[in-house]
Amino acid sequence: MPSFADALRVLNDMKGSGVVEDYAVAGAMAMVFWAEPIPTYDLDVLVFLPGDEATIVTLAPLYQWAAGRGYTAQAEHVMIEGVPVRVVRPEYLVALYLEPGARTLKRRERAAALMEASALDRPALDDLLKRFGLEP
Amino acid sequence: MTFSKGSAWSPEHMCASSKRRPRVSPELLGALRAGKADLRRQREKADLREKIRVVLELQRLCLPLIERRRRLTEWERPWAITP
Repeated sequence: MPSFADALRVLNDMKGSGVVEDYAVAGAMAMVFWAEPIPTYDLDVLVFLPGDEATIVTLAPLYQWAAGRGYTAQAEHVMIEGVPVRVVRPEYLVALYLEPGARTLKRRERAAALMEASALDRPALDDLLKRFGLEP
Repeated sequence: MTFSKGSAWSPEHMCASSKRRPRVSPELLGALRAGKADLRRQREKADLREKIRVVLELQRLCLPLIERRRRLTEWERPWAITP
């Protein structure tokens, strides 16, 4: 049975192959990394796609890469072996959770829990919130 | 945690015939909040492998509860991995 580390290795392979320029784990698994374990069934990954000047952004190369390795896409999810790593910083995760269009009760609770995390850089968070006009 | 006699959550208060619900004292609320913050700090310190083990356990525990409320999506299932 593969391990969680195997799944993360695949993300690094994706970067090594040039399919993505860079990536960072986000969502609930980033919260697990910085704070406490919470239930989740997916691994959210933010990616920088290789830069070109095309107007239309396409994820086709990413899905082709995954399919070529036997990872099947299901809806918007790519299943990578059942699931070193760059993880979105907790300050950015809080800011993402507090975005007006995203602030559900669950996310506000997560933001509150992250704000108690010792890894959180409070001045950096305050700066982010101020910069993007977000309410804590 | 101990409940002193006569406090809002003491057994005799809880069994009283009064129809008014006992109000939680600020001291009890403070103690509960401090306890929760302490628990969070302990969980935060666990190594990643242990945290992943807990996530896998939570996945198994929560799935039937979610299923009771709504239909599961295709990708909502416990991960077939080791921590």
